[in-house]
Amino acid sequence: MEKLHPRVRFVWGIGAAVTAAVVALVVAVGTVLGERVAVVDGVTAGIELPLGISVVVFVLGLVHALARFRIWQFEIQEDALYLERGVITRIDTVVPFVRVQHVDTQRGPVERATGLASVVVYTAGSRGADVTIPGLTPDRAQRLQSELRELARESEQQDAV
Amino acid sequence: MKLHPISLPYRALSRGITGASMLFFAGVMASGTLDLVSAALTVPLLVLGALLGGAYELAYYRRFEYELTGDTFDIRSGVFGRREREIPLHRIQNVDISQNLVQRAFDIATLTIETAGGGETEASLQYVGYDEAKRLQDELRRRADRVEADRAADTTVGETSAETAVDGTAAAEDGTSHPIPTAGSTDRRRSTDATEELLFSIRPYELVLLSIASVNPGALVLSVLFFPYVELIDVSTLLAFAIPGGARPDITLVLPKLGALVLGAWIISAGMTLARYYGFKLTRVGDELQYERGLIQRYSGSIPLEKVQTITVTDNPVTRTAGYATLVVETAGYTAGQSAGTESAIPLAARERVYELAQSVETFEDPSFTRSPKRARERYAVRYSLVVGALTATLYAADLTLGGPDQWYAALALLAVVPVAAHLTWLHRGYQTQDGHVLTRSGFWTRTTKVVPYYRLQTVVRQRTVFQRRRDLANLTADTAGAFSIRQRDATAIDIDADDAARIRGVLRDRLQESLRKRRLRDRTEPSSRTDGRVAERGTDAADGIGTANDDGTPGRDDDTDERTVNRDADTDDGPSERDDESRPN
Repeated sequence: MEKLHPRVRFVWGIGAAVTAAVVALVVAVGTVLGERVAVVDGVTAGIELPLGISVVVFVLGLVHALARFRIWQFEIQEDALYLERGVITRIDTVVPFVRVQHVDTQRGPVERATGLASVVVYTAGSRGADVTIPGLTPDRAQRLQSELRELARESEQQDAV
Repeated sequence: MKLHPISLPYRALSRGITGASMLFFAGVMASGTLDLVSAALTVPLLVLGALLGGAYELAYYRRFEYELTGDTFDIRSGVFGRREREIPLHRIQNVDISQNLVQRAFDIATLTIETAGGGETEASLQYVGYDEAKRLQDELRRRADRVEADRAADTTVGETSAETAVDGTAAAEDGTSHPIPTAGSTDRRRSTDATEELLFSIRPYELVLLSIASVNPGALVLSVLFFPYVELIDVSTLLAFAIPGGARPDITLVLPKLGALVLGAWIISAGMTLARYYGFKLTRVGDELQYERGLIQRYSGSIPLEKVQTITVTDNPVTRTAGYATLVVETAGYTAGQSAGTESAIPLAARERVYELAQSVETFEDPSFTRSPKRARERYAVRYSLVVGALTATLYAADLTLGGPDQWYAALALLAVVPVAAHLTWLHRGYQTQDGHVLTRSGFWTRTTKVVPYYRLQTVVRQRTVFQRRRDLANLTADTAGAFSIRQRDATAIDIDADDAARIRGVLRDRLQESLRKRRLRDRTEPSSRTDGRVAERGTDAADGIGTANDDGTPGRDDDTDERTVNRDADTDDGPSERDDESRPN
């Protein structure tokens, strides 16, 4: 089984930081409004509550990112792409090559900054129709993409589905 | 081709009324409320609105043209923005016809065309004559079949017959150079011209049972809003009861009203279902199931069998007790009946009949399910206990803060039913792997049994939540390309042993490859003639024999004579239509 690139933890960590910031903002606005309207007694708008909550969110996010990295793995097997992921809910997915519709590589801004890329595998399934493999070096992503494309094409030709 | 002439006055009238009422209303507003113009202006405005509406429809009618070509269905339309569409026939999934009362009186109908991979209706002809709609439905099916088959043949023998692939239809129908394929293709057409065979028509008793056992969420809203007994119900009484702290009406006053509301909703719901499925009829035409239904609005639609992804059998406690069930056939990207969710192949019939028909669409065996391990049942008991606990806590909190229900602890009585509920939930869950299919079942209120052929599998997903991992359980989902809808569940074996899940995942995977290999072998046993390729495709893909009338699951693939007999009862003479002349050089 292949692990993701360790640097993906930074990508997810930044995601956690952004979430924490958004939560802090929402809580801050909430407390200010709450104080003004005085719906909830004893709430004073201050920096402590939003900050405290956002720190908790950030720490949880970091822990989640670390656990996620530890669990995430994938493998190109004989007839299918196999992935294991998920912290709270563990998800193991089998994507048969025959069912691969097309394969993308993607690079978001954070990924570009950290020099990483993702590969997205699309199927025609009704749910989970696309599977994303994050945390790949651009080179690996390219190779994985062409590899999957090739495997999909081969099995397609064999099976004429 | 133009739309039906009657559609001009019909559309003009309805559009004219809309336009007239809009302008008239604007005029009334302007003269009355705003006092900008004199009231006398409203009448000319009314006329102007009607004229504008009518003129638009005249232009629409004049501009609208459709044409059925060899491999596309073309539509040119648009008054202000012109639009030209070519819909490739092999992309067409469903062709549906609907008629309301007025349209039935004038013998016109709406024809809608659905394609795969689009959430919205691809094209809608408003309105064509009913006969023309029927003809188009039939022609589209037939040609789509042909194009599809050609394409299948292309993929099968793509490399060997690269030059024929250039012009599929002509080559396939070319009788002079490929005598045997011609025989095959003639049969092919015959099979698509095949006689209609009535599979199911709903009986009055079934319709009544279906109506009283169905739940339409919209009915409750209608019940509150629109019906005369709303006085009797007086929603404000109910609201006053629900608002804590307010003056509390007597409970004896509230309960009958609540009862009346629910009863009203139930009656409306039953009425809606009755009107919807009145006169339901399912027929098999060639490789398609066609259904017709509706009391006021008449619908007719098609389910192409070679595109079937999963088969679903549902029942609820009422129909289950009576020994009845519902059959739903899911095709890829089918969005028909968008407003109403997935179309039923059989709204309600005796369970044996439902399975009989389901098994003729997909040859699976009678299900015998493996239940989840008993520890799953404990899990449900814990879960439901927690729900009861949360409910009690909420009521208690309401009591404390709002002086809410004094007997908040009464909710704890629900604990008594928790073991029963847990047991029932557990009892109705199960899975089975058969030779050609995987079956899953779950749900007490709506028990859903799903049948997924291995060769339709897309991805296989095993999921374990934190709580499932504690008990070493897992969900295993067999995903297909069926259309997603909220009412439908995935084919998921819920809470099975985690190791079993991993094992079954392997089984599904192997069976998928195996079934694909089998299909490949079948294709290979054929000489690489295009038509044979198409026949092979038919045999494997069209669900191994729509067994009711023909057993073409296995025979007829190595012998064209055989194929002809299989596609028997083609008493309709295959007189060459204009299309055939066009595509056949001789």
